[in-house]
Amino acid sequence: MNVLIGILEEGLIYSLLALGVLITYRVLDFPDLTVDSSFPLGAAVSAILTVNGMNPVLTLLVAMVAGGLAGLVTGIIHVKFKVRDLLSGIIVMTGLYSINLRIAGRANLPFFNMNTLMNNPFVKSFPAALQPWSKVIVVLVIVLIVKVLLDLFMNTKAGFLLRAVGDNKTVVTTLACDEGFVKIEGLVLANALVALAGAVMAQKNRVFDISMGTGSMVFGLAAVIIGTNIFKNRQKVNSSTAAIIGSIIYKACVALALSLGLVPQDLKLITAVLFLGILILGNGLKKKVKFHA
Amino acid sequence: MKKITAMIIALVLALSLCCTAGAKTLTIGIAQFAEHPSLDNCRTGFIDGLAEAGYVEGDNVEYILQNAQADMGLTQQIAQQMAQECDLICAIATPMAQAAVNACLDNGKPVIYTAVSDPVAAMLADAEGKSALNTTGTCDLLPVEAQLKMIRAFLPEAKTIGILYTTSETNSESQLKLYKDLAPAYGFEIVEAGVSMGADVPLAMDNILPKVDCISNLTDNTVVSYLAVMIDKANTAGKPIFGSEIEQVKNGCLAAEGVEYISLGRQTGLMAAEVLNGAFAGEIAFWSSEGGDMTYNSEVASALGIAIPAEYADGIDVTK
Amino acid sequence: MLELRDISKVYSPGSVNEHVLFRHFNLTVEDGQFISVVGSNGSGKTSMLNLICGSIPADEGKIIINGKDITRVREHKRYRTIGRVYQNPAMGTCGNMTILENMAMADNKNRPYNITPGINRRRVAEYRAMLSELGLGLEDKLGVPVSNLSGGQRQALSLLMTTLTPIEFLILDEHTAALDPKTAEIIMQLTGRIVKEKKLTTLMVTHNLRYALEYGNRLIMMHEGNIVMDHADEAKQALKLDDILGKFNEISIECGN
Repeated sequence: MNVLIGILEEGLIYSLLALGVLITYRVLDFPDLTVDSSFPLGAAVSAILTVNGMNPVLTLLVAMVAGGLAGLVTGIIHVKFKVRDLLSGIIVMTGLYSINLRIAGRANLPFFNMNTLMNNPFVKSFPAALQPWSKVIVVLVIVLIVKVLLDLFMNTKAGFLLRAVGDNKTVVTTLACDEGFVKIEGLVLANALVALAGAVMAQKNRVFDISMGTGSMVFGLAAVIIGTNIFKNRQKVNSSTAAIIGSIIYKACVALALSLGLVPQDLKLITAVLFLGILILGNGLKKKVKFHA
Repeated sequence: MKKITAMIIALVLALSLCCTAGAKTLTIGIAQFAEHPSLDNCRTGFIDGLAEAGYVEGDNVEYILQNAQADMGLTQQIAQQMAQECDLICAIATPMAQAAVNACLDNGKPVIYTAVSDPVAAMLADAEGKSALNTTGTCDLLPVEAQLKMIRAFLPEAKTIGILYTTSETNSESQLKLYKDLAPAYGFEIVEAGVSMGADVPLAMDNILPKVDCISNLTDNTVVSYLAVMIDKANTAGKPIFGSEIEQVKNGCLAAEGVEYISLGRQTGLMAAEVLNGAFAGEIAFWSSEGGDMTYNSEVASALGIAIPAEYADGIDVTK
Repeated sequence: MLELRDISKVYSPGSVNEHVLFRHFNLTVEDGQFISVVGSNGSGKTSMLNLICGSIPADEGKIIINGKDITRVREHKRYRTIGRVYQNPAMGTCGNMTILENMAMADNKNRPYNITPGINRRRVAEYRAMLSELGLGLEDKLGVPVSNLSGGQRQALSLLMTTLTPIEFLILDEHTAALDPKTAEIIMQLTGRIVKEKKLTTLMVTHNLRYALEYGNRLIMMHEGNIVMDHADEAKQALKLDDILGKFNEISIECGN
């Protein structure tokens, strides 16, 4: 039960990041490495503002704006200066490292004694039975809001265009729209979500650390691919749900590997084997479905 | 003194075991942030310290060992899982300590940390060294003053000391600040070079070497992992590197006034025993290593043409 | 009216692969003309379309639409008055989006793509009516992703989407070439009907000489970046398949084939 709570807390927070990666990688078809530093950017903004007494919920919004700006810079570098997608992300990722340090003022900024998003009088007023789940509940509410808004957005005119750009940018151009501009829009949105994930993570851990973003991009990709792979043949499960579940499965694999209690050095190898197992299992299920159909 | 304390603790422990605890086995989680000789030594020392105080593996305690391999996400997950499964967590290095304290915030389980350079900056302790939370531990802050004194003795003419540090390590920042505060008293100026990853170390060395008379290391894992390159370049320039612990001196640094991690870990183990015996960890002030285990490398010294100062002749020569 | 004035275009200038495509090329398209463009591979047909749409820049010369110089106008802005259907049926539609989503998106051309609902429910019946006119059964598949459709169905949808909103020029880039003869016939008939109904000025590149003769009121043949044959109205009406084939052989012999 307790392990489950841990998995859900971590998995749900990271699912916000996975949703961001879903937009860049799946929708825009843009391998965006900005993610590795917009995640700690959100954390840095949220941490320093919380330390200075801002309401934690507001810090999340400011963090999203900061993340959006990071995406904007990547987008402009790519679209206006015609720098390759991977490289634009790398440039912003590299530069943001210093900016993150500047924002937080130091490489590691703890705030254990502050009211945070998941530790405040309101959350403490939940019924006792819900207390162990309080963090999960707070994060779940955020994830659900984001998911619903994102799904709604994807069905607006702007959302259509965003999907079209990754699908077939010729269509966007012949519709007299600037595909570069649409790409920038997508990058802003995606990095705002990633920064939100970083901010929520900082609120949960009550600490910002400059290195917390390392590997975010890889994590997001894995979550999106695991999720969409498992639900490939179920039309009813949309891609945002799939990304969220993918993220939780990823964390569950790590938790499982941890609780197997083997030699710590082997942990990552075991996690990798679990991923592979899930992907193969997913493929196997798909074949069966096809066989029945 | 320490031995007497330990004996008393052991005695009290033995008594309490007889009277109350009975045959109950305690689960202790050792959560290590990264793979590193110093941190490994902490772990060994910790287990020794607890055993000394009567908590013997397989007897009345069992250990769960985890290593986050410097992965921040994993650090959180290990901390959370241990917060559920263990009766006490020993967290090795600052990020792990913060994660463990945060994970135990709600259930109040004790966290004993070690290899944290600045528990106050990391918000693990208040200015008096105590905490409102159920946590305490040991600090491996460098004996910078002793180090500066030693460098002055080795290099009477030197004016500048170069320091490489990783901008992502808070510990390095606080160590650097200490250097800067204390250096003028010994007639030194500090020239710093920040890197964001290990791969930047060679370039940073090229940049800093012409400006300094020697290099002094922090306990900065990222920088120290590139020690071989640093020593190569320093030797070419004919300038010595001072280390921050014995392992670095063995690998080619001239000398070090450093922290000895086995005894740091042992002290941590003794503190953990105290907590297991019923003390509230936050009430116990964190313990700082006083340093003073001076080590030097006579081969490096003669290669550089530097004599070992008389007052340090009784230090440990790692080549013997 | 659309004019290409004194256009020059050289690919990879200064390299061993230098290839002069156009040298002082001129073409005037009057309003309401439906021009069939034929010519061998590499004669510059598709490049001409790309120059008009701004997909490739001209080295020299001017492109003028209704008296306005658009030579420096960016590609996507030119599509405000131009609609284009490509040879590859996949180019004109978004495969991962449904038929309905594709049509709704095309229906919004030249209006802001904001955060109002992507699909206007009141228009759905109209889309369905347009689709059923195609006779391809698409009206029952509004919710199906376009990638599940056949090439012909996708091309019909592309054509419908391109002409859903008012445009002045229709550019057809070998749009039946990738289809089987029967489907090509259907698409061609649809093209003729739409062009007539909407009175579109049309440029159609095709390799099918029969279509070139049958459709449109002007025919030009291109060869090595030049117009080698140009007949409009009555002269075009009088044109026979043999005339075109004869001209083709003539230029092929010149080339030494």
